[in-house]
Amino acid sequence: MLDKRFIVVSGKGGVGKSAVAAAIAKSAARAGRNTLALSMVGNGMGLGAHLGMTALEFKPQQTEPNLHALSIDRSKALVEYIQIQVGLPSYATFTPAVRAFDVLASTAPAIREIVTMGKVLWEVKTGHWDLVVADGPPTGQIGSFLGAATTMANLVSSGRVADQSKWMREIQMDPAATELVLVSIPEELPTSETIEAIEWLDAHPVVGSHSIFANRVLPPLETEATGSGLAADAASLHRSLTSEQAIWLERLPTHLDLPFLFGAESASVVADRLADAMGASVS
Amino acid sequence: MTAAILVTGGGGVGKTTVSAAIGVAAARRGLETLVLTVDPARRLANALGLAELGAEPSKVQEEPLLWAAMLDASSSWEAIARRHADPAVAERLVNNDLFEAATGQFPASQSYAAAEEATGFVKQGTWDLVVVDTPPSAGGIEFFTAPANMTDLIGGRLLRWLTGGSLPGRRFFFDRAARPAIKIADAVLGAGLFERVTQFLMDLRTTYDGIAASSAEIDRTLATAQTLVVTTSDPTPMREAIRFFRELPPNAQHPTSVIFNRSLPVAWVDASASEDDAELAENFARWSTESSRQQRLRTQFSERYSTEVTTMDWQPTAPTDLDSLEALLTTAGGYSLENLWS
Repeated sequence: MLDKRFIVVSGKGGVGKSAVAAAIAKSAARAGRNTLALSMVGNGMGLGAHLGMTALEFKPQQTEPNLHALSIDRSKALVEYIQIQVGLPSYATFTPAVRAFDVLASTAPAIREIVTMGKVLWEVKTGHWDLVVADGPPTGQIGSFLGAATTMANLVSSGRVADQSKWMREIQMDPAATELVLVSIPEELPTSETIEAIEWLDAHPVVGSHSIFANRVLPPLETEATGSGLAADAASLHRSLTSEQAIWLERLPTHLDLPFLFGAESASVVADRLADAMGASVS
Repeated sequence: MTAAILVTGGGGVGKTTVSAAIGVAAARRGLETLVLTVDPARRLANALGLAELGAEPSKVQEEPLLWAAMLDASSSWEAIARRHADPAVAERLVNNDLFEAATGQFPASQSYAAAEEATGFVKQGTWDLVVVDTPPSAGGIEFFTAPANMTDLIGGRLLRWLTGGSLPGRRFFFDRAARPAIKIADAVLGAGLFERVTQFLMDLRTTYDGIAASSAEIDRTLATAQTLVVTTSDPTPMREAIRFFRELPPNAQHPTSVIFNRSLPVAWVDASASEDDAELAENFARWSTESSRQQRLRTQFSERYSTEVTTMDWQPTAPTDLDSLEALLTTAGGYSLENLWS
């Protein structure tokens, strides 16, 4: 998986999407791949914390050897988009024109998404990085982000945006280049949302390949003993939780298990331990 | 007078379950209660004895004083448009193919729609208590900033400038001030889409007065409501909970309590178990580590933000009936949620 050029990580809120994105990026960096981790939505605080940073900026910052990180600020992405990708002269990017465009961007379908996806895939396209790992939109929005290029192509048939939509689709649809990772946890809502997302992806091909990571999976208890005192209480809770998890893991299509982390003190410890746990299974 | 409890917090922390538990407990203590929920898990709807939740409050069969309704952001947006725009304009707005995309994308829209709907139920005066489960997009504080953001968006300087404010909009709009914007838009979008967006924004603009008045009312209602912040001990929801205290919105009450859901027994903190089975001993040791970490986090949090803390036990299975929902509340540790109605 780490030999791809673009991995975009999605999942329902609270399943550990940012942690998994950070862990994949760390794994790649430690395997010697020059990696960029980026946050596509929100302020990037989540991804930043997992990479040991207090904040991420629009400009890539190095977080460890072979690993840089950035957070997409939509206004800045828009200016860059207009200058580099649409190719308009810099005078056009003076406010208030850009701010006006920003209003348009949040109103017209697919524009916000195409600006964000445009920035992400531009980083992939430049060839500056071996791998770009995106902490992506929540599962409910993957259609509008990953489908932005297609939507845009349908809305405008000619011009620079149409050209751009074309190369964006080419990268996204190449199974050797792009993988969507859906993060789930073994509970009712995340599982059904993941299954819905897979069904949607089957009907609307927008990425070359996809895979599922089941996060926070408890280790099995092998022993039959019930124990006594506090140990018995812990064993009882553990067994109830694992049998509940088993129900949802069984419904989830082929997936990679990631462990529940006991006593992980900080976000960066979480990402480090997840990266260790991924080990050879992602390389 | 109807009291309101707002249950906020990041995604996946169990807000909906906590809201339902509060609803059941309140109803059983004699309060005519409405729980407004967002997208409940099927098992929770079943637990309430409801096969399906609609936008209209429906009575929970086995709990005489309990009602439940679902907040649906898309349909409530249509209601907002119809409430605040002229019928003809509303019709055009709702049928504009940009409507769905736009309403789904304004960051504040889902929260605003939910807040407006919740305020409507509170003002109706039918219930003693309305428990509001906030939308997942609103990590906490967005629910409170939504009315201001919405007013700002619809009536904001930028949009006024774009659509010409009270001036004959379109003429001003195609005036020289807007030319660079149009140039960009033409290059990027093609003129057709730009035209449609403009029409849409100008229609949307007519809802301003209604939304501004409504926002003021929502703010007044929110300001009198008790607020609960739900979190787990995981980094992402913790960050959302912290934001609530660092950026406490002016229209929000200092949270009555922060509920740490999925808490492990306090008895496990820094404890050791005398256990012969090596695997069970090791199993206890790791759970004890986790329980200790949770405890440290809660102590730190309550000291740093001087707030009450409630712990709710980690339930292996989601509550399946009204009794197990109520039990969540009655077995909770720390600050007692019974204080909510006493």
